[in-house]
Amino acid sequence: MIAQEAQYRDWMLAALMGDAGAYRMLLGGLTRHLRSYYARRLDAAAAEDAVQETLIAIHTRRATYDPALPFTAWVYGIARYKLIDEYRRHKRRATVPLDEAADLFGHDDATDAIARRDVTKLLDKLPPAKRQLVKDIKLDGVSVADAAARTGLSESAVKVTVHRAIKSLGEDLGEDLEKRDADR
Amino acid sequence: MQTDDLIAHLSNDLPPVRNGAVMRILLSAITLGVIGSTLVMVLVLHPRHDLAAAMTSFGMWTKLLYTFALTAFGFWLVERAGRPGADMVRPALLLALPVLAIALLSVIQMNATDSDPRLLLMGHTARVCALLVTMTALPTLAATFWALKRLAPTRLALAGTGAGLFAGAAGAFVYSFHCPEGAAPFIAVWYSLGIALTTGIGGFLGPRFLRW
Repeated sequence: MIAQEAQYRDWMLAALMGDAGAYRMLLGGLTRHLRSYYARRLDAAAAEDAVQETLIAIHTRRATYDPALPFTAWVYGIARYKLIDEYRRHKRRATVPLDEAADLFGHDDATDAIARRDVTKLLDKLPPAKRQLVKDIKLDGVSVADAAARTGLSESAVKVTVHRAIKSLGEDLGEDLEKRDADR
Repeated sequence: MQTDDLIAHLSNDLPPVRNGAVMRILLSAITLGVIGSTLVMVLVLHPRHDLAAAMTSFGMWTKLLYTFALTAFGFWLVERAGRPGADMVRPALLLALPVLAIALLSVIQMNATDSDPRLLLMGHTARVCALLVTMTALPTLAATFWALKRLAPTRLALAGTGAGLFAGAAGAFVYSFHCPEGAAPFIAVWYSLGIALTTGIGGFLGPRFLRW
């Protein structure tokens, strides 16, 4: 069972009876999950469009929610449909990975921001040159060849540098976690 | 428009949703569709001339019960298909019950001592039966699509297939009043083929016409 199910379902049932306040809470809450869901699958402009389209779809089709079924599965069905619609419009690809409702409700835009902040904080521990390399290759998807050309290092040197940097970050993270556990 | 403004706009005027809204959409559309199918049967094909006498025959009730059971489970399938996140497996599995029943009855009739298997299977109208079932089903298929589009089908090929099965079964039910056959093997093969044809048409058209 998805954690938000009971709360969202209550809001939805109230909204179906005409409770605008509950409906506003519901749409606000869903928007945070939808933003994160589409941001992980579409580019920024298309993602916000998809969020709005999904909200409108939820609104115009709200009568199709059957209170005997999980509300989160209903929302996920619509979100997935709108994602496929978006892919189809841009002829990007015909298949959508078989994820499920938990994937929509397991993330929201706040947790995504925390994850990004954590990565940035961790990277700050590296010396600037190494940090740039790790960021380029591991986060921004620059190829090893391009990074080598940019820095003047050989490709194998780039690979070794990134590998060692990641390893040292892992060790740092391990120490941090051990320290935190010891403090408890 | 900003998303926050959109939310404010959507929740600004929120009339309560009436109970059974989905059922009302489906039933009103399907009533019109079945009227359309009945008109095709009455005006184009004509009811069989011995209909009154046939209404008490075993063959007539074999057709009506078989096609009605498929229509009922098909309706449930369509209703599920219109709701995001709803499970279509259970109604789909139930479809096996009438199919098993007609298959069993066919075996019994074919193995009766005085039976003529060829006549039981082919009757006199085997060549046109499936196509005429499909033709009779088309108005119901169109109406079912129209209703589904107003709901929220999220798997369009599957929803179209369900709509085709429902419409095919309803069309076969209506066609029963024209058709002179009544042997279970005939119904099991040719009625089912007409229903399958309509099901295929629905599945093919779903992704094209059910988008919303």
